[in-house]
Amino acid sequence: MVEPVNSSLGKMLLEEVSPVVMVLCTPLVEETFLKNGLSFVETLKPFCNFSNIDVPVRTSGDQLYRLKKFTLRLFNAADIRQPNVEVAKQRLEHVITQAGEKVFHDLESDPPQITDILSNSESEIAPTWFQYYNKELIRTLSFSDHEAFDHPVACLLVVSSKDEDPLNKFVDLFNTNRLPSLLNDGVMDPKILKHFLLVHDNQDATTERLTSKVLSEMRSTFGNNECNLLCTNSSKEGNVEHQANPWASFKSSVPAEKLGCALTGDDIGEIKELMQEFASRHIIPYMEQKVRDLNQQISATRKGLRNQIKNLWWRKGKDDIPDSTKGSIYTFSSTESQIRILGDYAFMLHDYELALSSYRLISTDYKLDKAWKHYAGVQEMMGLAYFISDQSIKEAEYCMENASSTYMKLGKSGFQNATRCGLWWAEMLKARDQYKEAASVYFRICGEEPLHAAVMLEQASYCFVLTKPAMLHKYGFHLVLSGDHYKICDQVNHAIRTYRSAISVYESTTWSHIKDHVYFHIGQWYAIVGMNDVAVRNMLRVLDCGNQSKSTQEIFLRDFFDIVKKTGMKHEVVGLRLPIISMSSLQVIYEDHRTYASQASALVEESIWQSLEDDIIPSLNSGKSNWLELQSKLLPKKYKESNVCVVGESVKLDMEFRNPLLISTSVTSVSLICELTENSDDLKLEKETSSLSLGTEHNQVTTSGFSSFTLSEVDFTLGGGEKKLVRLTVTPSEEGILKIVGVRWELSGSIVGVHYFQSVPTKAKTNKAKRKNKLTPTDALKFLVIKSLPRLEGSVDHLPDKLYAGDLRYLVLELKNNSESPIKNLKMKISHPRFVNPESHEEELTPGFPDCLKKGPEQNTVQRETSRTSVFAFPKDVSLQGDRSLRWPLWLRAAIPGTISLYFTIYYEMENVSSIMKYRTLRMHYSLQVLPSLETSFEITPSPSRLQEFLVRMDIVNRANSDSFEIHQLSTVGCRWGISLLQPVDTILPSKSILPGQGLSCFFMIKDCRKPGTEEEKTTSILPSQTDIKLITQDDDEKLFDIVNSPLASFHESERSCHGTSDQLSPNTVDFILISRLAKSSNPSAEQDLPKILSHHSCHNRIRSSIPLSWSLDGPKTMYHDFSTSFCEIKLKMVIRNTSDGFLSVSINTIDGLPDAAAPTPSSGNLSGWRYVPAITEEMKLTSDVMGSRLGKPPPSMESSPPFIWSGSSSTKVQIQPLSRTEIPLQISVFSPGVYNLCSYTLTWELSEHENALSSTSSGICQGYPCYLTVLQSE
Amino acid sequence: MIVCVAVVGHQNNPLYIQSFTEAEDALKLHHIVHCSLDVIDERVNNPSKSGTTMNEAFLGLLYPALNYKVYGYLTNTKVKFIMVTSDLDVRDTDVRSFFRKFHAAYVDAVSNPFHVPGKKITSRTFSESVTNIVSSYSFN
Repeated sequence: MVEPVNSSLGKMLLEEVSPVVMVLCTPLVEETFLKNGLSFVETLKPFCNFSNIDVPVRTSGDQLYRLKKFTLRLFNAADIRQPNVEVAKQRLEHVITQAGEKVFHDLESDPPQITDILSNSESEIAPTWFQYYNKELIRTLSFSDHEAFDHPVACLLVVSSKDEDPLNKFVDLFNTNRLPSLLNDGVMDPKILKHFLLVHDNQDATTERLTSKVLSEMRSTFGNNECNLLCTNSSKEGNVEHQANPWASFKSSVPAEKLGCALTGDDIGEIKELMQEFASRHIIPYMEQKVRDLNQQISATRKGLRNQIKNLWWRKGKDDIPDSTKGSIYTFSSTESQIRILGDYAFMLHDYELALSSYRLISTDYKLDKAWKHYAGVQEMMGLAYFISDQSIKEAEYCMENASSTYMKLGKSGFQNATRCGLWWAEMLKARDQYKEAASVYFRICGEEPLHAAVMLEQASYCFVLTKPAMLHKYGFHLVLSGDHYKICDQVNHAIRTYRSAISVYESTTWSHIKDHVYFHIGQWYAIVGMNDVAVRNMLRVLDCGNQSKSTQEIFLRDFFDIVKKTGMKHEVVGLRLPIISMSSLQVIYEDHRTYASQASALVEESIWQSLEDDIIPSLNSGKSNWLELQSKLLPKKYKESNVCVVGESVKLDMEFRNPLLISTSVTSVSLICELTENSDDLKLEKETSSLSLGTEHNQVTTSGFSSFTLSEVDFTLGGGEKKLVRLTVTPSEEGILKIVGVRWELSGSIVGVHYFQSVPTKAKTNKAKRKNKLTPTDALKFLVIKSLPRLEGSVDHLPDKLYAGDLRYLVLELKNNSESPIKNLKMKISHPRFVNPESHEEELTPGFPDCLKKGPEQNTVQRETSRTSVFAFPKDVSLQGDRSLRWPLWLRAAIPGTISLYFTIYYEMENVSSIMKYRTLRMHYSLQVLPSLETSFEITPSPSRLQEFLVRMDIVNRANSDSFEIHQLSTVGCRWGISLLQPVDTILPSKSILPGQGLSCFFMIKDCRKPGTEEEKTTSILPSQTDIKLITQDDDEKLFDIVNSPLASFHESERSCHGTSDQLSPNTVDFILISRLAKSSNPSAEQDLPKILSHHSCHNRIRSSIPLSWSLDGPKTMYHDFSTSFCEIKLKMVIRNTSDGFLSVSINTIDGLPDAAAPTPSSGNLSGWRYVPAITEEMKLTSDVMGSRLGKPPPSMESSPPFIWSGSSSTKVQIQPLSRTEIPLQISVFSPGVYNLCSYTLTWELSEHENALSSTSSGICQGYPCYLTVLQSE
Repeated sequence: MIVCVAVVGHQNNPLYIQSFTEAEDALKLHHIVHCSLDVIDERVNNPSKSGTTMNEAFLGLLYPALNYKVYGYLTNTKVKFIMVTSDLDVRDTDVRSFFRKFHAAYVDAVSNPFHVPGKKITSRTFSESVTNIVSSYSFN
């Protein structure tokens, strides 16, 4: 902490609270000095400050002390009056305006950093003109009537030697009429020290003799000591230059070198001496004397107990006097004024003890008198005296506070005084490092006048920085307040200055509301002072004002564009925040050896493609020695790291633009910024022509035709808060290294935004995720451009996006190669072979679809080769070149309902083009929506009577929502099973079509056409027509579909392989294909997209029955026998078939005796015995219960059936392997002719999972079938 | 009447600020809240001066502005709650209970697993409950 005397307040007090010398001079004196560009007072002013006057002083006490620093204040008599308020105000305003002009050139620089502010000391932070302003402010209050330190102590009378009758002039000068009114009306003591000065102008040589005469006359008249001669203007030419011009700091309006041009060093020395002598020999002793006198006088009247009481009593009596006259109740001669003068003189002579005691004495008097202004003035002085004498801090503060609040109480008239008091108080607090308190003092004296308030607030804000720790929030706030006040009084420069400093506080915070306000206004103000580019720079910060209200945003944008227009040029702004680019949305789509047929296919995840292409692309990692190894050697390592793209093929970048505002913005000319570097030395391998190394030449972005790449431009409008995904492309037209550097756009046609990708760390996610993992985003946007290559374009024609399950379509894959160089070795792989099946030949279908699938007149029974590899290789001779296109037929069958993504990848190789890329793949992606249609299920049960025949129940349900279907044809697959109808077609489906949701069951018969004896797959060829039945009645001419030759067969194969879990070709399964079509009238609108036929495949249908075995009893139906000779023995054979997966053990028990007693099969009613045997038809065998209902009443049985006996073993037990059969010989003996029902046996079976297993899983007993044998008497 | 409440993160970043006045004085209130951070910092750094005990969250009257009184509250996670009221005659107990409820609402809001700590509170439920709390306190 500095000593109070050396603090800024101490210096200020030394300057301001110092003796006043009234100067009275004649016009000729002024004239003499004006030759130097200075008035008389101004000439003397620099020599009134004495830093080491060293005068011994003794005031009230006996102690002598020496004055070191001393100052005199010189005023012309005319100036000794209270300044006009208006003039003072104008002067202050002038000071500020001037300062504002000075700072103007600083405004262009960047705002200061907060750390710089904090590290600066006070004098560096606050502008220097504050001190000057404060001084001026205090000066406006000089010569007030309630204070005594402005009372003139002495009077300097100056007369020029050129004046006529100088002695009379001296007398005239001190004529009371010409004295200031303050002296005349009794506020100030007119009886003051007088000093007489004769000025002699050396340039005026004629008067020299006269001068000495006048001087001697003066001395005799006014006294020897009181008279002086001042010779001046010794320089004849008037061009003396002063090295350190003493006047420069006092008068700045005139160039410094002009000042004092006629004064030589001797003259200055003379002036200096004069003033020194005047101060030390006259003023100080005079004041000393006066202090002593007053002190004695006051001691006599006021000190001591008696005087105190007297004083009190006397004051009481004065209570009646109204307050209104308080201004004039104290004249200089009143006791109170005398005490005040004593105090002030003592203060000026640095005897603070005496000053304090006098002030204390007087302050109670004033308080009692309710002379508040005087009271406050005294309190103020007390506070200062306490401070400067380094006494109690608390007392000092208390006094200042008291003074300040008392002044405030006086209302408007006291405010100015309160301001001065506040300034002193604040300085006092600053000197004691109480900056926070100082700030609050500044805040108190803000007042209502905006300019004044602005300055005070700004000073307060600097105090907040200086507090430890710095209160930056308040600093910012006060600066903003101050700036607003400056703006109100049109001090724009100052407003900008304060806001600039405030920016440093808010810059790094997230208080966007405040930040926007500051940036917006500073931008506006910069525009006012004409610095539009700086204005734009600041305004840019508020463009991203999404949190503001819509109207605010509109104002922001409108003003911004106004200013931008004013600048008249297109600014290019890096990092423009409108619109916002979302870097996470950045997607790079480019084609190296992978090419894409459509946008959709490019967005498919790379891993899907990779897994699809696994077996068709030659792997780079394979250790095999093939042509690939050569390639990897040729390829420099750095190229393997970077992405490859091809000349003439565009690299696409998807990115998302987001409008943070609520109002819509138009963004135009969005394009990429790219660099194409030609790396001739590295590419020599394949580019022999550019063998001359040209180094690296840069090709910055231009849209001119000479550019080595072309860019796309996009215009769009973003609504409030809208996001838009924008695709930008760059197409290189030369080889080299292409770098995508950034993106640029124009905002509302007036400002260009630039965004560089490098500045954003990581997160450039592309669909090449796998490759990008190890690459930096910069690398991801770097491409090796290679020479143009053929690029295959492909599409699948007429691919519907919505179709029914089972729908069979004929499609064409169209491939096109636009370049001249041929491609070869085409291969294709399809992700869903179940759905799509390429035709093996390039041929157009002659009869058209679907007729081509129907059976032609000539039956071509050649089995299609169904070699099912997942890769379809086009024939070797297929090669594409030029504009030729290849149309390859494809079959599509919607196998299962759901949403299906179909991926096609076509591999092709180029001939002798590039060593970097030998092959490319074309990727196509289509998605299909497959709706459910007919659902079929089959149940096959063995026929009860015939081993080779089976009953099929087909259940169809229409699962479609709206469409109805007609069924057309049912076929069995393969040559083994023949199928036949059980009912006429009309009875199965009277309504012809199956409505949505409708279910239907119908029955068929299938027959195993394989020779029963042979287990080998040696099938008898049955007529192919036996495998199909037409289920449609009306169009008799319509042919059946050929399921053997058509693509249906290959689709069926895929269905089979899908359904069959383990490909154990179980011989006892049946595959069915049901062919249906859409009912004609159901949907007339979508004519072109109607499905023509639908096929429904049902595979691996097992023959199902309730018992795991089936058997039949074979033997002759009719026998002739001569019973006269012997009884008849008939050999029978029982064939038992194990239909289950388990091991079956069967025991056959024959029952002799009355067949009536044997229980017949309960389901078939009482059928035992002799009866009429109807012709066996297929209908009869439909189901047993059908027969039961028909034959409810059995035919009349014979009276008694001739007995027969089982003549073989009565019980046989056999083991049957799964799905195999065995034959057991049986024998009966018949004794008389007749018809015998051979049903009197039972089969007891046990089923177990394993051979010889003890535990059986199931068991049961079967009754024998009725089986009739007719035995006739032979002739 | 409470004119403004704010939640300020421990890096003096605003997490939530809501004014309840009709007039367009959001900027002023933002400034007031922003300034009061200095006072909070001061209080927290010199606990002896403030008179409150160390472990109390309620910081009391921060400073009286022209027409407002500003109260502060500091949670254990150094999150600051600031309340600006235009009532000049307020009992501390009322303010205390206000802050307790406000704190509870804040805890509910940041307990949301989708809330990112240190980011602005955007929960609609939070702002509703704050509005409810504010409207239930008129102090007079």
